[in-house]
Amino acid sequence: MSGRKLVAIAFVLVAVCLFSGLASAQDKLVRIGAMYPMTGRSGLYGMDSVAAAEMAIDEINGKGGVAGYKLDIVFTDSKSKPAYAVRVAERYITEDKVHFLFGVVSSGVGLAVTEVSKQNKVIFIGTDHAATELTLDNYQPYYFRVSNNTFQSMTAGAMYLKELQKERPWKTITYIGPDYAYGHSQLEEIQYNLKRFGVEYQLISKYLPKLYEPDYTSYITSIIKDKPDVLVCGFWGGDTVAFIKQAKAYGLFEKMLYFHPDAGGNYELMSAMEGEMPAGLVLSARHHNNWPDTESNRKYVAEFKRRTGRYPTYAAEGAYAGIYAIAKAVEKVGNPDNSAALIKALEGLQIKLPEDPEGFTSFIDSQTHQIVQMQAIGISEPNDKFPPAKMMLGKWKIYKAEDLLPPKELLEKRMKK
Amino acid sequence: MDLYFIVTQLISGFTMATLLFLIASGLTLIFGVGNIFNFAHGSFYMIGAYFGYQLVSVWKVNFWIALVAAGTGAGLVGAAAEFLFLRRIYGRAQEGGFQILLTYGLILIFDDLVKLIWGTEYKSISKPSGFTGALQLGDIFIPTYNFAIIVIGLVVVVAAWWILAKTRPGRIARASAVDREMLGSLGVNVPLVLTVVFGLATALGGMAGALAAPLRSVTPGAGIEVIIDSLIVVVLGGMSNFWGAWLGAVLLGEVNAFAVAYLPAWSTLFSYLVMVVTLIFRPEGLFAPTRLRKV
Repeated sequence: MSGRKLVAIAFVLVAVCLFSGLASAQDKLVRIGAMYPMTGRSGLYGMDSVAAAEMAIDEINGKGGVAGYKLDIVFTDSKSKPAYAVRVAERYITEDKVHFLFGVVSSGVGLAVTEVSKQNKVIFIGTDHAATELTLDNYQPYYFRVSNNTFQSMTAGAMYLKELQKERPWKTITYIGPDYAYGHSQLEEIQYNLKRFGVEYQLISKYLPKLYEPDYTSYITSIIKDKPDVLVCGFWGGDTVAFIKQAKAYGLFEKMLYFHPDAGGNYELMSAMEGEMPAGLVLSARHHNNWPDTESNRKYVAEFKRRTGRYPTYAAEGAYAGIYAIAKAVEKVGNPDNSAALIKALEGLQIKLPEDPEGFTSFIDSQTHQIVQMQAIGISEPNDKFPPAKMMLGKWKIYKAEDLLPPKELLEKRMKK
Repeated sequence: MDLYFIVTQLISGFTMATLLFLIASGLTLIFGVGNIFNFAHGSFYMIGAYFGYQLVSVWKVNFWIALVAAGTGAGLVGAAAEFLFLRRIYGRAQEGGFQILLTYGLILIFDDLVKLIWGTEYKSISKPSGFTGALQLGDIFIPTYNFAIIVIGLVVVVAAWWILAKTRPGRIARASAVDREMLGSLGVNVPLVLTVVFGLATALGGMAGALAAPLRSVTPGAGIEVIIDSLIVVVLGGMSNFWGAWLGAVLLGEVNAFAVAYLPAWSTLFSYLVMVVTLIFRPEGLFAPTRLRKV
């Protein structure tokens, strides 16, 4: 390379550095370091979270930011690997000097990143991972979660099953879910809550195939042989799609009630199955595109669709909520640097979110740092307002947010650990 | 024990086994003939599934035509990948290490390409008309599409065996596994043989992907999910042994089907246990002819 070229390149580099320095000197920034999977099966949740976080940031910065600060977010692929995400989080803290760690889809990654947050005293806003451990057994003051955990959805699930016994007497349950923390804790929690509510039933079999198992045929024929009244399912994403496709061909849904209260009602299932989605499945998710039917939810869903060309999966709303939680806390404190004051501000913080029906506002429980939200369980029925989906949930049963929190004795027992 | 249930579970195992075999057959072919360990083989399965989606769900092409086209398409991508990349590392010292690194790189590239073209949403294909129903067996229905899969698998295993064992191109392919230099000095265009074999093998993977798509979720990363089980099948069957791969897949499918039914808590363990035992006591593969054993 000629000397002249080298000088030219050096000149450009210096100019780039200078201008980027100028830009950041003009704005005071709240720096957020986000980690989401960008590829593989969970890539959809990651991409949706990124889009929704950017949407919230544009809304907030468009109105002039908060307390004289603009929000600034950096995204890195977490690769869904705990060890890798830990390195990213550490780099965010030491090099980028972020004020907040943000994101992650997998609970395994969440459990690893919460340790980094604790050691470095940097607040970690968990947007979309549901393992209850993070706000109970592994609670640490710098962690906050802004979407419901599996305990909350399984409590709502147990309430639903209890009511159901009156209308359609059922006695036996089979469980199937992925073989890792998320799948195991849903089973424990549904059992714990059914017992707590005095429901008489029998768990006749349980199946825990590995995560991302492509072929459930043998499980399906075995479940049909077991003849349970209710099949409780704990899959998410592509696993749910594969399971429902395969089970439908065996007529499983005509033989038992399919009940999937944590992630079964995710929009990506409806959109992937299109016309093949069976009706009559009882499902829920942490956000629904068609519930609540409020101005705020309609606007959120429409704006997401406008920006991305697709309807959001539930994961998006977690990221959206996380950005608003940060903005509200910084607004209260006046700056993003005082972690102790930010923690105080986040504890008990109320945020009105698209998923909140009229008359309710989500809030962060100050004891566990877990957001407290309503849970709506619905039944799949024809509805083509959100294409390519041909079915959406309806006939909603709504469970009050306050009723879904863990009882005091469980809280004390598990938080002590 | 319920006889109906045993039969259904046998058929379940067979369905799973056939799809596994169709994926693994390509892997074993490339390994046996080309001596190439194609870690990216699952990616061709994924590409076949996406081609199938594009043809059937978007362009509304007949399913069976789409199946052949998706396989062919994946095969062409495979041949191009071999011609452009893999060919450059043949004959290097420690070629094996380079093969793993290169084909692993291909996995990442194909995953991202698929994401760029089709997005991250899960995609779906409907079953072909005439195969949406089920046969009743006692209390249990068995989808007719599952029978179609089993038959296609049998056709492929017989055809591949016949080509490899009885035809001249098959003999050339087998010869290239034994001694590429000798084959070259006999006037055979060895690089071309390898490209064609690679293309055929990836076409098999692609066809398996399109065939599985009506039953599974089509998503980026789908290739990774199938590669481990396919490797187990190759280990069980012995390299470059179509009947071995088929029997290995059936063994794995049935072990899994009955473990799920009778010992569900341990079901995942069994496939690996079968592999470990094979590797210790018959490392050349359960179904490899004895004369291939290395002394």
